[in-house]
Amino acid sequence: MTTQTLERTTRVRGHGQIARVARVLIAPVAGLLVAVALIQAGGFQPVPTILVGLEYALGSIDAIARTLAWGLPLYVATLGVVVGFRTGLFTVGAEGQIYVGALVGAVSGAFIGGMLPIAHQAVSLALAALVAGALSAGLGWLAAHWNVDIVLSSLLANYILVPVCIFLANGPFNDPAAEAPGATIPILPSAEFAGLLPRTQMTWGILLVVGLATLVWWVLERSIAGYRWRMIGEAPGFAAATGVNIGRWQILAMAGSGALCGVAGAFLVLATQGRFTSEIAVGLGWIAIMLALMGRSRPLLAIVWVTVYSVMQAASRRIEQVADVPSDIALLVICTILIAAAAAPGIVQLVTDVGRKRHGMA
Amino acid sequence: MEWLDAILSSSVRMGTPILLAALACLPTLWTRDINIGLEGIMIFGAFFGVAIGLVTGSVWVAITVTVVLAAIVGICFGLLVTSLKVDVFVAGIVLFVFAGGATAYLLDTIFGAKGNLADPSIPALPVITIPGLEEVTVLGGLLSGHSILTWTAVVLFIAMLVLDRTSVIAVYLKAAGSHPQALATSGVRVNRMRVLAQMWCFVLASLAGIQVSLGQLSLFTVGMTGGVGFVALAVVIFARGNVALTALISLAFGAATALTFQVDKNVVPHELTSILPYAAALVALIFISRRSRRPKLAAA
Repeated sequence: MTTQTLERTTRVRGHGQIARVARVLIAPVAGLLVAVALIQAGGFQPVPTILVGLEYALGSIDAIARTLAWGLPLYVATLGVVVGFRTGLFTVGAEGQIYVGALVGAVSGAFIGGMLPIAHQAVSLALAALVAGALSAGLGWLAAHWNVDIVLSSLLANYILVPVCIFLANGPFNDPAAEAPGATIPILPSAEFAGLLPRTQMTWGILLVVGLATLVWWVLERSIAGYRWRMIGEAPGFAAATGVNIGRWQILAMAGSGALCGVAGAFLVLATQGRFTSEIAVGLGWIAIMLALMGRSRPLLAIVWVTVYSVMQAASRRIEQVADVPSDIALLVICTILIAAAAAPGIVQLVTDVGRKRHGMA
Repeated sequence: MEWLDAILSSSVRMGTPILLAALACLPTLWTRDINIGLEGIMIFGAFFGVAIGLVTGSVWVAITVTVVLAAIVGICFGLLVTSLKVDVFVAGIVLFVFAGGATAYLLDTIFGAKGNLADPSIPALPVITIPGLEEVTVLGGLLSGHSILTWTAVVLFIAMLVLDRTSVIAVYLKAAGSHPQALATSGVRVNRMRVLAQMWCFVLASLAGIQVSLGQLSLFTVGMTGGVGFVALAVVIFARGNVALTALISLAFGAATALTFQVDKNVVPHELTSILPYAAALVALIFISRRSRRPKLAAA
């Protein structure tokens, strides 16, 4: 090996390491740049403003509890989407399923009574999971047996389920005394999760979320079911050849995905909102989908991203108060991060290709 | 027969954004980069139509600037999914979510408004009334009193029909999707065709958004496009790349939407009638899928 080629290979290897670092850094840097630009555009100093926001989100035990409490339903919903994505089912029906879960949770929380709190909560959550899971499984059945495109069917289902839920909340289950539009009767005290820390909205429901997250992680990463789902998602031909009943496992994945989204909706009602309102979860399902994509359909990574987003969300609420920058900024930043992360390998490739051409190594 | 005129007129009005958005999406189906962020482009189009119209006072400036912006962003989006190899499904979802957040943000920072923007000085789209035809039953409702964008949609439809039959561009676009290597071998840049399709998609979908915001009430509310883009997506899937069929199904969905306005709100609440187009689309999707083995939207 001549010195020249050795030099060339080391340079390429150097490139490789820089490329690897760049690939990881592009997304957070892009997100930060957008945040800085948007706050600057509002006429405020970016760095102090962001620090004030982060202080509000993470500054004390209470702050962390408040931030986490907001994120709890999102963890469940995101993991639900992950279950679908892992199986190669690109379901975008989370929004509708969360609404269904919220309505079922609110109705069973308000109309079923005379039970121990824990039983009442369990029944409400189970009913929400059952109804949302069954609806989702129906789409899964249509996809598995009639080849109905899951993206389009789940998309359209959103625009059917959400209005139906709002109609039911305005009609039979409506509370005329409530100020919010489309509000149902408040749930009974026995259906409410007991508070864990005062003034933070943090409830014992966190145990449920931790339990569900552990379960989903174990099922997806350690169980046979999770292995089959992954196999169907990554290599359906191989799965079919090894005798996996693809249709049945797809329907199961959709049922699990919908059930988790339903639980997320019911959780919103039982833990914080206390009733269903027509605006209870606007956009939450879409955020869950984005975070599942960020997490590359892996439960642990998805959990990390939900945490990051919860912090961003809390910070943006504070920033809106102190700096008159709309809290939509959190959504814009996460969109940027997702697109930048998806584009990062392409960007790095493009840059290294140009670099190689310049060095005459194309 | 006035009710028939009213239904026909409102069918055409409701069908216009669906037709524009469906025609927008069609070339991206040909190149197999179907843009499911159609709804997001419409939200942007609706917002910028109103915002630029309010600032400049001219509907023509509003349309021109929005279309130019759409073309530029369309090229960027095209480069994102071609050169930077971003999955088009991911890009589409981000586009949709981003549009909702960005328009709410801009509405708040520029106009200080939360959720909606209404102002008497927002211009409306000019309406073309055909003299002598207004009074004629059926034809009057069908042809007279519609916005210029309705007629633009008709012109674009005819243009696409002709281009599809006669031009090489349509062949290139379809080949970019079905036989990219063959197309590359014949000396055409495949990625350029895919970017072109996205640019076309953005321009037409932004027009669809303008029709929604300036076509009738001249105001903007967050979420005012209300899933029309997704209905258009369904239309394109149903039509399987056929231009004439796309227009026909678009008008059918326009009629379905128009019918929901005819129902008395006191008898059936608006929430229930509003689901009709989506329910119809879902049922149609199920029946069409059952009969044939189509390629999936997200093959990834």
